[in-house]
Order: sequence, then structure tokens, then C-alpha cells
Amino acid sequence: MVITNNDLVNNKYKDLINIKFIDGNYRDVLVFARDKIHEGYELLTHPLSSSVKPNETPFKSLIISDLKGELNLDSVIVIENSIMTYDKFNKVNIRFNEKVIGDFKLIDLTVLESALNI
Amino acid sequence: MIKVVQYINQFFANVGGEEMAHIPAEIREGHVGPGLAFQQAFKDEAEIVATIVCGDSYFNENLDKAKAEVLAMVKQYNPDLFIAGPAFNAGRYGVACGTIAAAVKEELGIPSITGMYKENPGADMFKNKVYMVSTKNSAAGMRDAVKKMAPLALKLAKGEKIGSSAEEGYMPNGIRVNFFEKERGSKRAVGMLLKKLAGKEFETEFPMPDFDRVDPNPAVKDITKAKIALVTSGGIVPKGNPDHIESSSASKYGEYDIEGVMDLTEETFETAHGGYDPIYANADSDRVLPVDILRDLEKEGKIGSLYRYYYSTVGNGTAVKSAKAFAAEIGKKLKADGVDAVILTST
Amino acid sequence: MKLELGYIYIKDIQFGETSKVENGIIYVNKDELKSIILEDQNLKSVEFDLAKPGESVRITPVKDVIEPRVKVEGPGGIFPGMLSKVETVGSGKTNVLKGAAVVTTGKIVGFQEGIIDMTGPGAEYTPFSKLNNLVMICEPIDGLKQPEHEKALRFAGYKAAAYLGELAKNITPDETETFETLSVTEGMKAYPELPRVAYVLMLQTQGLLHDTYVYGVDAKRIISTLIYPTEIMDGAIVSGNCVSACDKNTTYHHLNNPVIHDLFEQHGKTLNFVGVIITNENVYLADKERSSNWSSKLAEFLGVDGVIISQEGFGNPDTDLIMNCKKIEAKGIKTVIITDEYAGRDGSSQSLADADVSANAVVTGGNANEVINLPKLDKVIGHINYVDIIAGGFDGSLHEDGSITVELQVITGATNEMGFNKLSAR
Repeated sequence: MVITNNDLVNNKYKDLINIKFIDGNYRDVLVFARDKIHEGYELLTHPLSSSVKPNETPFKSLIISDLKGELNLDSVIVIENSIMTYDKFNKVNIRFNEKVIGDFKLIDLTVLESALNI
Repeated sequence: MIKVVQYINQFFANVGGEEMAHIPAEIREGHVGPGLAFQQAFKDEAEIVATIVCGDSYFNENLDKAKAEVLAMVKQYNPDLFIAGPAFNAGRYGVACGTIAAAVKEELGIPSITGMYKENPGADMFKNKVYMVSTKNSAAGMRDAVKKMAPLALKLAKGEKIGSSAEEGYMPNGIRVNFFEKERGSKRAVGMLLKKLAGKEFETEFPMPDFDRVDPNPAVKDITKAKIALVTSGGIVPKGNPDHIESSSASKYGEYDIEGVMDLTEETFETAHGGYDPIYANADSDRVLPVDILRDLEKEGKIGSLYRYYYSTVGNGTAVKSAKAFAAEIGKKLKADGVDAVILTST
Repeated sequence: MKLELGYIYIKDIQFGETSKVENGIIYVNKDELKSIILEDQNLKSVEFDLAKPGESVRITPVKDVIEPRVKVEGPGGIFPGMLSKVETVGSGKTNVLKGAAVVTTGKIVGFQEGIIDMTGPGAEYTPFSKLNNLVMICEPIDGLKQPEHEKALRFAGYKAAAYLGELAKNITPDETETFETLSVTEGMKAYPELPRVAYVLMLQTQGLLHDTYVYGVDAKRIISTLIYPTEIMDGAIVSGNCVSACDKNTTYHHLNNPVIHDLFEQHGKTLNFVGVIITNENVYLADKERSSNWSSKLAEFLGVDGVIISQEGFGNPDTDLIMNCKKIEAKGIKTVIITDEYAGRDGSSQSLADADVSANAVVTGGNANEVINLPKLDKVIGHINYVDIIAGGFDGSLHEDGSITVELQVITGATNEMGFNKLSAR
């Protein structure tokens, strides 16, 4: 399952794969994923994928397993560390123009696609 | 001219050894004992205007009182800089130096510094609270200690930028500071690897966070027969906090009888924890300490029984050392009472 | 495999009638180079500028930095699989224009980053302030998509560097240095008593603007493998990575990989430098597991006693780094890892996104979140208005007087994780 707040990802893949679209920010995506992981879903991509900093891009897409299994401790550690990393960055309050927002969405999409192997 | 007040113990003031460790704090004009070496190192930039002398036993046995007395003495001189010690490997002296140096910095807002050996118990307690120079383990290292402490002290007094621990000689305090090394990183890496390969001592530039991991016990054989206890660092206490467990840096834990208690209610329980929004824990303390659920499981026969007492402390800022001591005591009691398993809840 | 590098020391770069290298000065015929670059139909225009050490110049946003080199003897050409054929490089002779570089700039995305200051406090943090730089400002044709734009810019850099390198083909170097790696068995015989050491080189591989290429192959598609260190000196690895300016490895870093250099310096004296294991940093966690399994297996296979592991980029590569470290240590092989830190502006946060007790020997390139003030410089090559929105910049970063307050992470190469710099932290 792809968890994303990026509508570019959602629009491109919603009819093809299992997507949970989050109407929220980067952190909301991480937190939703964390809750799922605690239910027993496995984290499949690194939540801090891409070197674009979490206080820079507003968009995040990540993948967890479609099926629920036993609690995966590695997944828990990675997602919890990622949320801590997210929180340590100073938040910036900048209104981006459309071009920049589009670029952030595109980078998030291509990073996700590098894992989707499409 | 920078005005300096220094704190030393009875031994370094030449009052006497252990037999004089009971003397209360007193103040003397000018420098005393090691103050001479500091005064020489300061040249004309700073002057030690007064020295506070206090017995180690007195300070440690009357901590709050002694701290207040020393603070009042410091305040009276309104110095630009405060120096405690150096304490080398003297344990109680180190704790006294750390306590008072941190207090002068925090409560009086005066630049403050101390120094001691890295294994002095005062080091771990206070190195993150006040600049603490790493010294040798005995007074024979006084010259070396002054050489490191005096320049750093002057910088602090002048409000200059303080460099990294590696440059300035203070103990790493959890604050990472950039600086330029003599060699580039790759060369340092090769050097470190050669030392590591040769089994020699090497120093990592970034110590990994402390992993105090405990291997889990084997699974409980038959949970339906097991006696289960609840222990929490979430601060759940009977309403009114009868043991006065502190909201942060807890110095104690509480043992509470829950025989016959089926549910923790707003009227009967609350949290003492000061590190999270208490609204939901106060409204229903089962959210932190799940007594209600365990009672259900007990009734349904899914667990053997819920242990009669639960243990609670506040994890907020509590020293690892204290937490370990609490855990050792609690563990002993649980074991003695035949508890098979413990559910630990945090916040 | 044996390679002789011939250094031609460059003290100046100028535009001129004829492109040539003479008495340590590079002369560039702009029009000739321009026509070569514009052979790429995806580029609309290219401008050139010069930036030399000590000048009051700020270059931004920097995409890549490339050192001009040319193959003089031996098989293949520079940048195999990209500009030259996929011949195996790394042997024979290669000439280097030491002290010069091609710097590519241009906004592929709106938040492009990377600053090189040629003077002032910022210059101390980037190695490229010490070079005589030919700066290229490329504009794509209208409507060109970002992936094609990135590729066009990347190739423009290689072509310009190769063009300059070609000027050095027939010049006698000021100094030469020879690097040789023996086969595993020969090496064991030659240095039976020295500890055997390999280098694990991690490459950023995560998608558009995050890629690295090995002999033209996108490195996210490779499985960890072996490469001779001298192949890297001939441009077998190139950078397509444009994010996280402070800790991305530019092509210049790959060509001048400091770990390789410093291991060679000790080779045959205190250690036996066996070779390089390259591995990637993919997004997929199973890929991370597989790649680190392979790098540890290769280290074991080579029978080494120790490895140095270098990293690239921020965040998730910490996980690859720790996996590599943990798995290699588990095989009884000693490791030293090189990383950088994101400890927050005040230095008090946890520096890495992952950690393990086996990582007990760490070299750090410093805290990338530390704040620095960069004064206004007389000339800006590129665009500066974006600093408010890049990593390490923030609302109000760009002051009215032209000075900027930013985190170190905006400076190209500032906290390099190959250990290229002297910057560290405690």
C-alpha cells in the first residue's frame, strides 16, 4: 500500500495500486504509517527516502505491505527514528509558488517510482 | 577586570582532611590554595576576589541548605565568573562542584565552570549542565587542569564563542559543535582504522547513543496461570499523589495497593507526570496503567491474576541511575512475591 | 591494474582566441565550446563565466563540479559509458588539470541548491573555492521536462570537462603519481604481514536528481560489486545527484576520492589496500538489505581485516551505512564509517537517523544544521532568490543587504561524507 499526501502520485496510481491518500502534511503521512506498522504492516520503503530535507518538501510517499502480519520491529524502529528526525528540523513557513510545489511533487513521485520499479 | 569567585573544599583550603569535612561554608577574601595558580594564569585579566571553602560532608549531607548558603555568598560578590574546583577524582567534592557550578549558572546567571576526572560521579551528573573540564585523576594534575580551565573560564566570562569540546577541553555535553581538524576526514578514518586493526585505543568522533538494551526473557509458559504485575513510568498515582512523586527528575517511586480496584477513575487516580498533557491520563488513568483491561482478562481466565500492588514513578527527566535503582528494588519485591510477568507502560 | 596520473598545475583560467593550456593557464575559446555544448538539442543557450580563488563571487545553484582529465595512454576514455565507450579504464596514463574545474549551474527544479563562495567565511567550507572554475549556465529549450533537463545539464558538464581535458593531452605533467592495485593473490604475496583493507563506497541512488552512474549504468540497478580504485580516477563513477548540497558527492569528489587517495598513501607501508566495493542507497528497504548483504559478503570474500565505509546524502542512507557497518563487523571485519550530522541548529538533537553499537569508530564531517552568515559578495553567478526555500535556508534567509543566514547544508561539499574536508564536530 502506498501512503501519500502527494496528489500527483494519487492521480497517477489510484486506479492501479492500493493507495491511501492523506489530506495532510509530511508528518501526517509518517504518523499514519506508524499506526499501521504498529498494527502489523511491514514498512517497505525508507520513510526518509530522498535527500530533500523533511522541512523543505511538503510531500511524502512511502510504501507498506498490503497484508498485515506480526509486528515487525525493524519497521517500528525505522519509522519511529524517522519521525524523530522529522521533528528535529526547524520548520520553515514559506509559501511556495506553483512551479516549486510541482517540482517537489515530481521528485517525490520519481523517488517513489524508483522503488515501485515501474 | 573580571571578578572571580572560586569554590574549593576543606582539603584544598588546607583546613584538613576527612576529619574536617564537616565544616560549613565560609568565605575568605582573595584566592586560597589552587586559586594562586588560577590567579597567575589570569594575569591581569581577572582577579579572584573571594574564595568559598566548604567541607565535603557538610555540602553533601545538607545539600539544599549548603547550596543556598553558597549561592548567597556568591551573590554578595556579584562576580563575572564562578569557578568550582577542580575536584579531580574526589567523589563528594566533584558532586559539590557540579551542583554549585550548575546552580550559579542557572539561578544567578553567572558564567560558571568546574573541572574533574571523567570518572568522578559528579561528571556524569553535571557535565551536560555546566562546562566541565576533564582533568587528571589526582591533584598532581593541577597544573594541567589550570592550563585548560583558565582560558575557557576567561572566554566564558567575556561571552566569547565557545568552540567544540575537542578544542576547549571540556567534557562532551551533548551539544555538537563544528570545528576544523588538522587532517581531512579520510585521513582521520585511515588513522582510526589502523589503530582499531592494531587493537590500540582509538577515539570515535561521534559516540553512538547509549544502548542499554536488555534481552527479553523467554516467553511466559502459560499466561492463563501467570501472576501479572503493572509497573509504569507514566506517573499514575492515587489522587492527591500521597508520596509526592516529583513531576520531573523523580527521586522515588510509589507502591500502591489495587486489591479490589476494577477501574481507575477520575475521582480516584491521576498522573504526577509533568512531561505530557495530563488531561487524558487524569480523566481515565487506565489509559496509562491498564487496570480495567487486566481485570477483564483476569475474569475471563485469560491471565492468572493481577498482582495486588502496582509500582509507579515519573520518567520525565529522571536520571538513568535513579531509574535503575528503582527497578532493582521493584524487581526484588516482584520476584519475592512470585510474580511471573510484568507489563511496563510508559507515556 | 596500474595508472599514472600526470598533474598539470593550473594557476589561472581565462577566455581567449584559441583554447589551450600554457604555463599553467587555461585559455578557453567560448564560441568553440559553446557550439559543442549546443549540439544537444535540448539546450537553448549556454553562457560561460569564470570564478577564481579569492574573487568576490558566489556561484549558485551548483549542480555538479567536474575536474578536467584526459586519457593519454591505455584503453578507453574519460567517463566511460557516458561520454566514451564502455571500455575498462583505470590503466595507462591520465593527465589532470589540477586546480581547475567545470561547475554546472541551472535550475532543474525550483528548489535547486548548492552555494560556492570564492571568498569570505563560506569559502572555507567548500573545497571548490580553491579552484579556477569555468562556470556554465545552461538554459533548456522551452517545455523540457525535468529528467531530460537534468540529463542535458549533466552531459554538458562532462563535455566541457572533457574538452578542457583534451587540451592537456600532449602536455608534459609537472608531477606524476602512480597507483597500482595487485590481484588478490599477488597482493597477499607482496604484503603478507600487512592488514588487508578494502573501501566500501556508498552511492546515492534514489530517483531523479538523486542518481549516480557507474560506467553509464544507473547505480540503483546494480548489485554491490568490485571496482579497481584507478577506474574511479578515470571517471567510471559520475554524479547525477543534485540534492543535499553539503553531503552529495560531486563528480569531482569521485575523481579525487580522498579515501582512495589516503589508503594508497599507506598502501604497502602500514596496510594493503585491496580494492573498492561499491554499493547503493536505494529507497526500497529490501534493496538496502540485499545491497548490504552483498557488500559484507564481498568484504568477507576478499578476506580483508578492515574496511572504511563512506556515505552520501541525508536521512535514509544512515540506514544503509549502519546496515553495512553492522553486517561487516558481524563477519569479524573492523570498520570505520564516515558520515555527517544533522544535530539541529543548536547541536543538541540526535545526529543520525539510525545507530548501532557496532559503529564504534566514526569520522564526522560536521553538523550540517549549524548556522552560518554569508556576507554579500560583489557578483552572483546564477540565481540567489531561491535561498529562502532551499534546505538550510529559511524565511528571511536572504537579507536586504544581500547577505544570507543559512545552515551549512547549503554549501556545496561542506560536510562531505568521503572525508574530503577538515571540518568535524564534537
